Amino acid sequence: MQRETRIANVVLGALAALSLLLLSLPLSTPVRSFKAGVGYLLDPLAYHGEAGYRRVADSPERIRRLLQADMENDQLRAELRRGEWVKTTVEALSLENERLRRALVLKSPSSRSPAWAHVMERDPIHWYRSLVVDAGGDRGVALGDPVLGPRDGQLVAVGRVVDVRPMTSTVLLLTDELSAAAAYLSSGTLEGLVQGQDGPRLRMNYLNAESALSAGDSVYTSPTSATFPPDVLIGRVAKVNPRDQFLTFQSVEIDPAADASSLQELMILRAKAPEGEPKPPVYVPVIPPVVVPVSVSSHTAAVEISTSTARPRRRAMAAVAISTAAGGKP
Amino acid sequence: MIGFARGLALFFGAMFLQWWWNTHFAYWGAAPQFLLALTILIAARRGPVLGMLAGFGWGLYLDVARAELFGASALILTLAAYVAGVVRRQIDLRAMGPLAATTFLFTWAGFLAQGLLGLTFTKSFESPGWMSLLLTPFLNALVVTAASVIWDPRGDR
Repeated sequence: MQRETRIANVVLGALAALSLLLLSLPLSTPVRSFKAGVGYLLDPLAYHGEAGYRRVADSPERIRRLLQADMENDQLRAELRRGEWVKTTVEALSLENERLRRALVLKSPSSRSPAWAHVMERDPIHWYRSLVVDAGGDRGVALGDPVLGPRDGQLVAVGRVVDVRPMTSTVLLLTDELSAAAAYLSSGTLEGLVQGQDGPRLRMNYLNAESALSAGDSVYTSPTSATFPPDVLIGRVAKVNPRDQFLTFQSVEIDPAADASSLQELMILRAKAPEGEPKPPVYVPVIPPVVVPVSVSSHTAAVEISTSTARPRRRAMAAVAISTAAGGKP
Repeated sequence: MIGFARGLALFFGAMFLQWWWNTHFAYWGAAPQFLLALTILIAARRGPVLGMLAGFGWGLYLDVARAELFGASALILTLAAYVAGVVRRQIDLRAMGPLAATTFLFTWAGFLAQGLLGLTFTKSFESPGWMSLLLTPFLNALVVTAASVIWDPRGDR
């Protein structure tokens, strides 16, 4: 029994010393290499486990879709023949759009390359902090890449990549208290800093102390954000915190648009796609076009135009002269 | 040889089970900590050395998935195995009741240790949340009881 105690003490000393060393020097090269090595050994368990689980879970759905696909195939073949004309038109419009953009000296949208990934692992103890996805260095994911998630037909801000391994990556969620993103409120031009609180809600600080704030406002990423593309929905204002007379700013509580517990697929906006990967379409936030007539005269009409590529708060006021041959109804 | 293969299967099987449950069955942020429960069970049945080695390996697996505090779970599971190995001389951890009660208490101790390590190394007390704090100890006690029944169905513990 004494021999066992002695061995146990030695093993405890060695393992505890190693653990404390890992905890104390998280950024040193040996510790990072050790972490990468452990990840390399153990990540395939979850990676292949998730792939296997999906294969089994999706089997009935796959069989149903296979039968459906056969029926749709004939239908789509016929539509494809008709679609040739549409494709030609779109290509012509795309070229025209690019030419007009150049003529107007307008900047093209960010050319980040999106990659979809599955949520592979999440730890209930750190529910609002981080999760692991099944895309890593092999798919061109890099440190700091912004991560978006689908919600009600649009993409919303989720977090950023903080650790990249060969086949997997760790995503730090916006709700983590170490996360922050520059953002603005949709009701005005107020900018602030959205920060995580290790809970279901976010907090937006540094809002102008004199401004009137109201619950229900949408919060979008700011063009000044170092991580996220501009105008990506972060969430909605849930509560305006009471003003603190000792602070020079106001703050609000935000319900994040991305629900950490229901995320299944995420989009990573990579700086560059790996060579050989087909080029995906450029990501542009989808905002329905709005055209509001504001004044009409016999020969000209002023309209407020908001297009799908325009910023939601930056509606371009444009006076468009519509000439009519007869000077009557346009 | 068969014992080694069985141990290896248990080691990887437990990690797979933890990942599978966490990812697909964790509701309201609460899920049983299979790896903690099994670490305690191994330490109680096979001694603290084997428990610490398994706990350290499982802890590293838990730590790899996290953004910060790499090494915290490894340290906590190693300590849990050591304490369970020491305690088994005073308490009969072969019986289900004491084993479940020890696991229950170790779960809270683990949460506290996690928070204190966070406070020490990242200046932030990592709270597991009320739901985990209240539900997880019961789930862990249930898991360790079930695992001890499966461990040796003939009663030769």
